[in-house]
Amino acid sequence: MIVCVAVVGQQNNPLYLQSFTEAGDELKLHHIVHCSLDVIDERVNNPKKSWPTLNETFLGLLYPSENYKVYGYLTNTKVKFILVTIDMEVKDADMRNFFRRFHAAFVDAVSNPFHVPGKKITSRSFASRVSAIVKSFGSGTTA
Amino acid sequence: MGREVAESCLDGVMIEMVSAYCTRFYATKPELAARRIEAIGYQVGHQLSERYTMERPRFTDHLEAIKFICKDFWSELFKKQIDNLKTNHRGTFVLQDNHFRWLTRISIDPTPESTEASSNDPSVTAENKASQTTNMHLCFPCGIIRGALSNLGIPCAVTADISNLPACSFVVRIKA
Amino acid sequence: MEDYPEELRTPPVSLVSLVGCPDLHPTISAALHSEQPPINTLALPDFSKISIFARKQRDPLDAGGHPPEGILKKEWLLKHRTRIPAVVAALFSCDQVNGDPAQWLQVCTDLENLKSMVRGRNIKLVIVIVQSTVTDGVSEDLIVALRKRAEIDSKHLVMFEQDNPLEMKQSLNRLSGIFAELCNTYYREEGRRVKGRIEKKTFGFPELNIRYCFKVAVYAEFRRDWAEALRYYEDAYGVLREMVGTSTRLPHIQRLVEIKAVAEQLHFKISTLLLHGGKVVEALSWFHKHAASYERVVGVPEMAFVHWEWFSRQFLVFAELLDTSPASIPGNVSPQFGTLENPLTEWEFQPAYYYQLSAKYLRNKKLSLARSLSLIECSDSAYKVEGCPDSVTPSNFVGQYARLVEEGDTVTVLPLSDAEYTSYAIREAQRFQDSYEIIALFRRSWESFNSLKATRMASYCANRMAREYFEAADFINAKEFFDGVAGLFRQEGWATLLWETLGYLRECSRKLGSPKGFVEYSLEMAALPIFSNSEGETDGDKRECGPAGPATLSRRENIQEEVFNLLKGQTLVAADCSLKILEDQPVLVEVDLVSPLRMVLLASVAFHDQSLKPTSSTSITLSLLSQLPCPITIDQLEIQFNQPTCNFEVVNAQEPSMAESIRGDPAVRVEMAPSLTVLPDKWLRLTYEMKSEQSGKLECLFVKAKIASFFMICCRAESPASMEDLPLWKFEDRVESFPTKDPALAYSGQRFIQVEEPEPQVDLSLNASGSALVGENFIVPVTVTSKGHAIHSGELKINLVDARGGGLLMSPRGELEPFSSDSHHVELLGISGTLEEDESQLNLDNIRKIQQSFGVVSVPDLGLGDTWSCNLEIKWHRPKSVMLYVSLGYFPNSAEAAPQRVNVHKSLQIEGKTPFVISHRFMSQFRREPLLLTKVKSSSDSDKKTSLALNEMSILIVSARNCTEVPLRLISMSIESNSEENNSHSCLVEHSHGSPSDNGLLVPGEEFKQVFSVTPQTDTSNLSVGTVCVNWTRDARANLAPGSAVLTRLKLPDVNVEKPPLVVSLEYPPHAVLGVPFSLHARVQNLTSMLQEIKYSLGDSQSFVFSGPHNGSVFILPRVEHIISYMLVPLSSGSQQLPRITITSVRYSAALQPSIVAETLFVYPSEPTFSIGLRRKELDPISS
Repeated sequence: MIVCVAVVGQQNNPLYLQSFTEAGDELKLHHIVHCSLDVIDERVNNPKKSWPTLNETFLGLLYPSENYKVYGYLTNTKVKFILVTIDMEVKDADMRNFFRRFHAAFVDAVSNPFHVPGKKITSRSFASRVSAIVKSFGSGTTA
Repeated sequence: MGREVAESCLDGVMIEMVSAYCTRFYATKPELAARRIEAIGYQVGHQLSERYTMERPRFTDHLEAIKFICKDFWSELFKKQIDNLKTNHRGTFVLQDNHFRWLTRISIDPTPESTEASSNDPSVTAENKASQTTNMHLCFPCGIIRGALSNLGIPCAVTADISNLPACSFVVRIKA
Repeated sequence: MEDYPEELRTPPVSLVSLVGCPDLHPTISAALHSEQPPINTLALPDFSKISIFARKQRDPLDAGGHPPEGILKKEWLLKHRTRIPAVVAALFSCDQVNGDPAQWLQVCTDLENLKSMVRGRNIKLVIVIVQSTVTDGVSEDLIVALRKRAEIDSKHLVMFEQDNPLEMKQSLNRLSGIFAELCNTYYREEGRRVKGRIEKKTFGFPELNIRYCFKVAVYAEFRRDWAEALRYYEDAYGVLREMVGTSTRLPHIQRLVEIKAVAEQLHFKISTLLLHGGKVVEALSWFHKHAASYERVVGVPEMAFVHWEWFSRQFLVFAELLDTSPASIPGNVSPQFGTLENPLTEWEFQPAYYYQLSAKYLRNKKLSLARSLSLIECSDSAYKVEGCPDSVTPSNFVGQYARLVEEGDTVTVLPLSDAEYTSYAIREAQRFQDSYEIIALFRRSWESFNSLKATRMASYCANRMAREYFEAADFINAKEFFDGVAGLFRQEGWATLLWETLGYLRECSRKLGSPKGFVEYSLEMAALPIFSNSEGETDGDKRECGPAGPATLSRRENIQEEVFNLLKGQTLVAADCSLKILEDQPVLVEVDLVSPLRMVLLASVAFHDQSLKPTSSTSITLSLLSQLPCPITIDQLEIQFNQPTCNFEVVNAQEPSMAESIRGDPAVRVEMAPSLTVLPDKWLRLTYEMKSEQSGKLECLFVKAKIASFFMICCRAESPASMEDLPLWKFEDRVESFPTKDPALAYSGQRFIQVEEPEPQVDLSLNASGSALVGENFIVPVTVTSKGHAIHSGELKINLVDARGGGLLMSPRGELEPFSSDSHHVELLGISGTLEEDESQLNLDNIRKIQQSFGVVSVPDLGLGDTWSCNLEIKWHRPKSVMLYVSLGYFPNSAEAAPQRVNVHKSLQIEGKTPFVISHRFMSQFRREPLLLTKVKSSSDSDKKTSLALNEMSILIVSARNCTEVPLRLISMSIESNSEENNSHSCLVEHSHGSPSDNGLLVPGEEFKQVFSVTPQTDTSNLSVGTVCVNWTRDARANLAPGSAVLTRLKLPDVNVEKPPLVVSLEYPPHAVLGVPFSLHARVQNLTSMLQEIKYSLGDSQSFVFSGPHNGSVFILPRVEHIISYMLVPLSSGSQQLPRITITSVRYSAALQPSIVAETLFVYPSEPTFSIGLRRKELDPISS
């Protein structure tokens, strides 16, 4: 189950953070998302291995934090998507699929002419679309 | 068919935007008008780059990003690529489009339209006026390029240069 | 890790025992220890000590019938490492073997004893016969006998030679080789024996299975068979994990404790083996498995703390293992993290990660313990009644505890009940300061994350550390760390996290009794962009949020209200401490450009103009913005400038009494504002008039707002044009408004303005008109008239600058002839006052510096309406256009009152012109032509210089034309000789005719001519004729006093003087009458002392007929004159050209032709009648 998704801007500022748990651990999730930025920095800035998938937007598992697993995605525009899940076994393809759909939703949200680049995303339709994507996560059939 | 209609609409919007800013909102301050139009372009470029880079791996260096602008980005916007790309390898890139779509509808009226300017040398004024107007039309694409590149993490300054209508070249200077 | 016993932490080392010959033991021990792998030695001095090898009577291993009391015996590992050798070596000296039968018997007995001891344990036996000298020998029979008796292989009986070092070394090597081999054999056999039991499954209890596996693994470790050791440890671990749910042996709390203790040991062994084998990835995976499989095995809630302590220790130990392990992240780990082939991520290779988790779980322990304690206290339960047994100690089995009961001398070990164990564990746990342990762990993690440049992870650790400090009531440390953490959150805009941190900081400040800190943190919290409205407050929430409470809008409002109540003088009462702001210590908060409190109050100040005239006024707009959730009402605003006289105050018109009470300086201007209430996220704009008397920059520095009784917030004024975005709020998607109503002003407005200099109220006039003339003293009258205010300490500066630029009015050769007054083309000669007494005064006590193009002169103090003037004398040496700059600097008031200097500038362009154009011309005498050879010879060369004939008089005409636009009076014109002493015989210049008539007044363009006769008397090629001196003055009627006559000089060019060989004079009447013949004589004088042949010719003319030859030639004797005569009859009247006469000197082949003027004659149609008799007479002889 996905417990949290977040969009973090170019200056590592939170643009959108939504948790899907019964409240109580929101602060903890903030911390987890914030700390995961270190891993992204590390992974992007220290490309020590010449791996073919080096510049892929999907960054994979960032780190396991207690009972959570944190996954990351970095767009070309240095916007980070972070997903926190409590599922211990996650299919790579599911994760990629999720981020692809999330990215599409994000692009639609920021392409709104009334959205000022670099500001928080407050669009309600984005929020509901994200909820839908989160809900359908792992069902595997949706594209 | 539909596409053509959309394009002429876009042309109309473009022309109307320039004229609205230059002759109505900031008629007395062409500098401010240019800045405003550029700012609109910046936001559009910013948002478009977000969309057009969606399904591609991250760029590793500036050249890759510029190439993206020249090829994919330009194709999406204008159905053609930039014709010529030059660089001095020190952060300046010149993108030349031999047939820039948004300039194809522009022609320069050889006769000076207003007689008020006759106090000065009329031919010079007319020429100035014409180049000033075309330059106003280039503020928007300059802003688009700058917006797209800034969003890709490349802060830069973009200026445009009309060599010979409808050819034009955009000079991108990357800020160190 | 340090808590673990040594035998667990280090890999086991084979043990051998030496018996007998104690003097050799140190040598052998040392040699064995330095072997690779080393062998430990258990040295027994004599055979009486061998009983320690003996087995106990009852071996629990064999007691298969009833269940074992525990899993692993605590002592077992130590026993095998220190007490039970794999090999026993019996050392006998030669003497003993070779000695008398009694000794031999003793040897045999010892051997038998040893054999019996050793056999039960399968310990290998070695016999060493020590030879003290080479000569010592033991007979073969004895050796065989000994071997047989000992029942050992022949190679296990060793001769040890200690005599010479080489031999001894060999013996030692041999010995250690045998020991190593036997050890290996022993441990393998032991292992195989136990393995056999596992395979046969001859046990009914999993405990035994685990124990056997453990043993096999340890034996394998002795043999350095790491793979087998690992396998059996893992087996043991697996079996153990299954026991968790199935075992029923002990009371269930203790059962779990035991299992975990054993698991910890097994896990430690496995991790160590993996890491030492360089298998980092496997070690990490194993650890994750370990953690995952035990994390949830908490046991009963009241004993949860035991679990968490244990769990935390797992992470700590693993972190320490990783820290000390030389293995690093292998290069071949796939960068695709979290996939099947690589489930690990970067941090998991870092010990810091595990330290942090260890700290986290230790914190769990702390919380669980607190919960357990509170449970006990409130429930007054059985634990308490039962009390805590005094003497609980660890029992013989790993992870078990027992009670010692002393009854007299006997000590009995009794098992514990769970209740007893629980109270024991609680008591033990209370002895530790978990907080400091947690802080230490976080600190380790923090340090290593910092060194990894993982700032956010580090700050997370710092945050947790600070929280522990906070809970431990160490507020100073807590504040320090929280402050550091808050910085990062502010920078990256994580409002929710910042909220939490600020909440702690606020509490720290309160606990430390710092009202200022409390106010600042509270205000920052209240101004954070948090809008959540969820009111689901639960206890869990509270714990999670810390003292800040949930991050909601309503909470922000509460905080604001709370802090403003405090600022109004109320006491903030809390459970443990109260805070009050004292009247004499009001809180002053400063907000600069980087302060996080800019969100609380932002002051933007914009002048409406860019510059300000001192007399006029401009507007200033003061805009205040606050992001506090509730409106704030400011009682008084103080606006401070760099010019303190401009400072002003704004008071709230609604509460003037309040404002009155806090007013300070009555001299300060006070403005009333209808309302000073700043609404959330809305600019409060106030516009006021501004004036300044003082020129220069006027800059708004601070805006101070007094709010409530004891609070002052001092904001650095910011220019709207260069205003930074608000921190945190810049990421909010909100409509931003401009600080000023006019958006253009918001783009360009500045908080400073340039105040111009006061308008000078003085007339400075330069009254010169027209152009100056070269050579004259040109007078420029300067008049200073005070119109508006008096002039004090006035100073007039005069500057002459070339009008075409270039500044210096120097000639290019100026440096070569610095003393020549000509070096300056234009020169400031002097400044003269109009009145003589003024000038003397000036000279006495005031500045008066005059250089050639620059001058300074003091202006006396002038009262209102007074006038002062002076004349500038300027002389032009060359015609030039010059800019004259005159500036007057003065103080409008007497010096000390007004430091403001006023400057007036004036400039005038003056054209310098040449007054006269002087030209000259030489002419020969009338109808007399000397033959000048230079004139004939070359046409081009001699053009430059005029040639004059020696001793012949020439006529010089000098003309001066007035080329100015004003009439000039020419007083005189003369030619001065240049070289006075040679004058008499070089050249005779006579003023022959012409003097200025009717006062010599020349209107513009008019020319004046004067004729001189020049007779050169020296034969020279450079004859200086002289200098023309023109004495002139401006026409008095037009201009100034006539006294200033100017002398303009022009040197005439040098002339060439030569001696003419021939001189031709034409003689004919001055006029002729038509038809009347007259005679023409050409008189040719030979001035040389040679015979000269000349040819002459007379050309035809239509106007005349003549008699005489057309051509002819004649010889003229030296110094003789020859006359050629013709008779001519004019044929037409008027001015007629005579027939051309040409005379050619054959010797010089030079032709001489009189000029056309000389050959022109006027022909009257009939005889004229002249009225003037004299003239008539003169004509007579010719006509006759």
